[in-house]
Amino acid sequence: MAQMIADAVSQAGANFVESVALFLPRVVTTISIIAVGWLIAILLRTVVRFVLRWVRFNAAAERLGVASILKSAELPPADSVVAAIVFWLVWIGFLLSGIDVLGFTGLQGLLSGFAGFVPRLLVAIAILVIGFVAANFAWRATLLAAVNARIPSPRLLSGAARWLILILAGAMALEQIAVARTIVLTAFAIAFGALMLAVAIAFGLGGRGIAKRILEHQFPEQERSGADEISHL
Amino acid sequence: MNALPAAGASLPDPLWYKDAVIYQLHVKTFADSNGDGIGDFKGLTAKLDYLHDLGVTCLWLLPMYPSPFRDDGYDIADYCTIHPSYGTLDDFRAFLDGAHARGLRVVTELVLNHTSDQHAWFKQARSSRDNPRRDWYVWSESDDRYAGVRIIFLDTERSNWAWDPESKSYYWHRFFSHQPDLNYDNPAVRDEMWNVMKFWLELGVDGFRVDAVPYLIEREHTSCENLPETHEVIRFLRAKLNEHFTGRMLLAEANQPPELVRPYFGEGDEFHMAFHFPLMTRMFMALRLEDRKPLVEIVERTPEIPETCQWGIFLRNHDELTLEMVTDIEREYMYEEYARDPTSRINLGIRRRLAPLLDGDRRRIELMNGILMSMPGSPIIYYGDEIGMGDNIYLGDRNGVRTPMQWSGGWNAGFSSADPERLAQPLISNALYGYQAINVESQKRADHSLLNWMRRLIAVRTSSRVFSRGSTTFLKPANHRVLAYLRTLGAEQVLIVCNLSSSAQAVELDLGRLAGALPIEMFGKSLFPRIGELPYILTLGPYDFFWFKLRRL
Amino acid sequence: MAQDSLLSDELLRHLMAVGQVDILVGVPTLDNASTIGGVVRAVHQAFATYFPRDRAVLVNSDGGSRDGTPGLVKDYSLDEAGTVTVSHSLRTMHRISAPYHGLPGKGSALRQILTAADLVQARAVAVLDADVASVTPERVAALIRPVKDHQFDYVAPVYARHPLDGPLVTQLVRPLIRGAYGWQVREPLAAEFGCSGRFLSHCLEQDIWESDVAKYGIDLWVTGAALSAGFRCCEAPLGPRVTTAAHARLGFQDVFQQVVGAAFLVLEQHAPYWLPRQQSEPLALVGTPTSEAGEPPTVDASRLTQTFCSDLQNLQSVLEPILSANTLSRLNAIAEGDCGQLRYPDDLWVRTVWEFLAAFHRGVMRRDHITQALIPLYLGRTGSFLIQYAQAAPADVEAALEAVGLEFERSKPSLVECWNQASPR
Repeated sequence: MAQMIADAVSQAGANFVESVALFLPRVVTTISIIAVGWLIAILLRTVVRFVLRWVRFNAAAERLGVASILKSAELPPADSVVAAIVFWLVWIGFLLSGIDVLGFTGLQGLLSGFAGFVPRLLVAIAILVIGFVAANFAWRATLLAAVNARIPSPRLLSGAARWLILILAGAMALEQIAVARTIVLTAFAIAFGALMLAVAIAFGLGGRGIAKRILEHQFPEQERSGADEISHL
Repeated sequence: MNALPAAGASLPDPLWYKDAVIYQLHVKTFADSNGDGIGDFKGLTAKLDYLHDLGVTCLWLLPMYPSPFRDDGYDIADYCTIHPSYGTLDDFRAFLDGAHARGLRVVTELVLNHTSDQHAWFKQARSSRDNPRRDWYVWSESDDRYAGVRIIFLDTERSNWAWDPESKSYYWHRFFSHQPDLNYDNPAVRDEMWNVMKFWLELGVDGFRVDAVPYLIEREHTSCENLPETHEVIRFLRAKLNEHFTGRMLLAEANQPPELVRPYFGEGDEFHMAFHFPLMTRMFMALRLEDRKPLVEIVERTPEIPETCQWGIFLRNHDELTLEMVTDIEREYMYEEYARDPTSRINLGIRRRLAPLLDGDRRRIELMNGILMSMPGSPIIYYGDEIGMGDNIYLGDRNGVRTPMQWSGGWNAGFSSADPERLAQPLISNALYGYQAINVESQKRADHSLLNWMRRLIAVRTSSRVFSRGSTTFLKPANHRVLAYLRTLGAEQVLIVCNLSSSAQAVELDLGRLAGALPIEMFGKSLFPRIGELPYILTLGPYDFFWFKLRRL
Repeated sequence: MAQDSLLSDELLRHLMAVGQVDILVGVPTLDNASTIGGVVRAVHQAFATYFPRDRAVLVNSDGGSRDGTPGLVKDYSLDEAGTVTVSHSLRTMHRISAPYHGLPGKGSALRQILTAADLVQARAVAVLDADVASVTPERVAALIRPVKDHQFDYVAPVYARHPLDGPLVTQLVRPLIRGAYGWQVREPLAAEFGCSGRFLSHCLEQDIWESDVAKYGIDLWVTGAALSAGFRCCEAPLGPRVTTAAHARLGFQDVFQQVVGAAFLVLEQHAPYWLPRQQSEPLALVGTPTSEAGEPPTVDASRLTQTFCSDLQNLQSVLEPILSANTLSRLNAIAEGDCGQLRYPDDLWVRTVWEFLAAFHRGVMRRDHITQALIPLYLGRTGSFLIQYAQAAPADVEAALEAVGLEFERSKPSLVECWNQASPR
């Protein structure tokens, strides 16, 4: 009897040792994958930062207005942000594949879900960035055009243009990552619709003169602004 | 007037010879400064401005070394000094500096194959069989070694062996009997010739025209020409040259068909340049036949040469117009057309200058120069041909084409202040080619003289490298009297069209592949109709030619 | 292949027939039927009267006129000129009209004219403006003579006009060129000029003919090219300049953007030349200037200044990245004052322009936004200047403009610092 127990215990012990022995290499592999991944991610981050510096990414970011936003959010400059994103994505990728090696089935389901989420997150970020840039451009272009065409309240108009685009981009981004889809959709529809209605009323009722002037500017017969009374050349 | 370029002894471009325009002259008959009737270096130095103004970029001097003058200086008695009649080594240095200051390079003669029998080496060699220099020449007990080897100076020599009464043996000479051949199987000879070269190169000379190259080595049962061992000697000398100097040039005189000249370039490790003799002959033939065939053939037959090498092309030189390397039919034709008077024939060639060969016809002279200057290679102008000097076939040997340069219509044509009877060579003085009719001074004054025309021709030629370095493609229009070819270098293209006939010609050229290009005539810069898909019609007067730069807009 | 070449077969055939010339007069046109007759007449009279022995040709480069301008050029009859001189001239007088291909705009027309001049080896070339109704034979000769007789390479015109006229030139472009290039060119934007064969070959070799500069700023670029490449430049007085009404095709905004945008681009291109230059010299004057100064413009300057005051507030956030804090605060200060009596001082204006130029070079935002942002400031400056000098004598106005030019020169070092500082695009 004692012998049976002893045998069972030793068998269990042997099994345990065996499974540990089987498991250990995987742990080692995981650790090495994670470590290597970390090194590669660091390397890539440095490379990306170098490349961005070389193509003067910061200057472009400044031009597009992204830089000022980052500054106000107390984030590091644009190229560091991009490099950091690259670093994290790469390392997380290695982390996931490292953990995958360990073979925990429950974890695997979670991981594949996460892996599916990442591309959508990237797309959402891209939409936000593009939307931000477009909004900035629209804001400045509208402001300048309105000012020089003598349209009243140019700042209001340009601000409206900017916010419209931002809201649109924000809604698209949220939809991409499928966060509170229905709510976002509805809220956006209401806000956008209200804004457009307000603009339509403002223009339709109060802005006839302005509209007329804009049309006249497009098809000029006689310029009225003082600028055109003298010959500048 | 050309502005003088910056001074510099060895100007930087190591491939300068590929784009050079060379002027061949003999110090003896160019300009005399001390009134002894013999040209000298001081006189030559005074004429450097004339040469610079002509537009040439390199001077080639005939031998200027001490010599008994039984072969006009090619029989050399001392390699490392200047013949006292021409001046001193200092005079030569002054000349060299003056030439370099004007951007002119200087190439001198290197007679490798033989020395004069008055040379110290030969005197020692023949004095006894045990003399250390004995082996410097090629001796034999009998004259039947190397049997069957052809004789070069047929008119004067009977054999390639000459008997030396002093050492009682025969010595080998491919040329005159007073020019014993050096023995290049002897390493001491090679080393000493390198020392000779080094001496002149250190003075600043830019290169050598190497006389009589094919004949350096002899072997039994061969023609004793172009032997592989000869090439070894060349490679040895070239390697030494490369080791110690940059930007210097070796020019081979190898009168052979172009396929046999090709080996003298080696793989860029032998000669930098070599004369293209057959081209010269074929040009004269094509002109007389009024048919482009001989010319096109020889150029198409000419093999490719290494990138660093260049052909030396010419119309005339100090020797006879050689007909050694043509077929009998061709030789007969040339003799009949160009040398009716047997006195003008010598050694399987014709000893005449350019102008008399072309009957003094200005149009033909221009045409031949126009073809020469647009052919691939570096052109060489023989002194006096730029003013159309005549010759004197009644002077012995080839001296008829080596008469004094005609500078003016005055005393001795401005060549020398000596008594006319004392001149090294008599002047040409007939009414047609004499110095009163043909001289530099009067041609300078006439805007459309041959001299000014040559200056303009050289200026256009040197304005672009397409002539010296471009590829050559012949167009073969149905009219065989018209020679037409395309020179291409990169994006640059020049079309040359020549009328070889004495009557006006019309020609239809198939220029479809050049469609869209605008021809601009290079001398007057006039626009010609744009090239289209249809045949391009041109009309040319007698012996007329066009150089068109093809421009794409 | 004729299609994608600069010169059509037809034009080439004409040029071949003409052969080598001494003088070529080029006239770019686009719907100039009302004035082209006068231009052709003046040119031919100039040839016959002032250059009777020279080989000459008139080349009209047309941008696709729909009012028959090319036809008018070709069919112009020399007999109707009414002067005996013309029909009894020594030489055949050639006249060519050809459409140009390529990007629409004066750049392509000019390129065709210069290429034609190069092919016929013209030694002296004059380019005329077909929009101008005041072309006389004397004016044509005035552009050619300095090149032909005095070996100048570039001749800029000088017009007799009131100093208050053309503020875009007098307040902005002229002093900017003076301060930058170090040469006092009175009409850097002039569409008429004379040049030598040497200079036009140089221009043809430059790589700008397909760029934006060629579309809008070719006249200024030619001036800049002549100055920066060390060619011998001079000025020639041409009298008054009378443009036709049809000439004002574009609205002010577009004109300003084109001119100023082109000016900044040209300056950017030639920066290596002018950055180290200091002070300025006048160009040689060949010919006698006329004394007529023309009428002063009548304009309500206060409207301009009102525009400035109201717009400045609206554009704060756009101006912040462009101007320095100091400049912007000074601008705000003067905008807060009485707009009817606005004083936009010289040094502040100069700083404004230099800072805009530097911002343009650095690319702080889209370039056309930068030039657009300058418009209200320019209007404010113009208004301020007009308020101050509307009643002044022409000589006093000239003195004031000279002061502006000097101020540009004086403050150049700070521009150079600005320019070199930030990383260029």
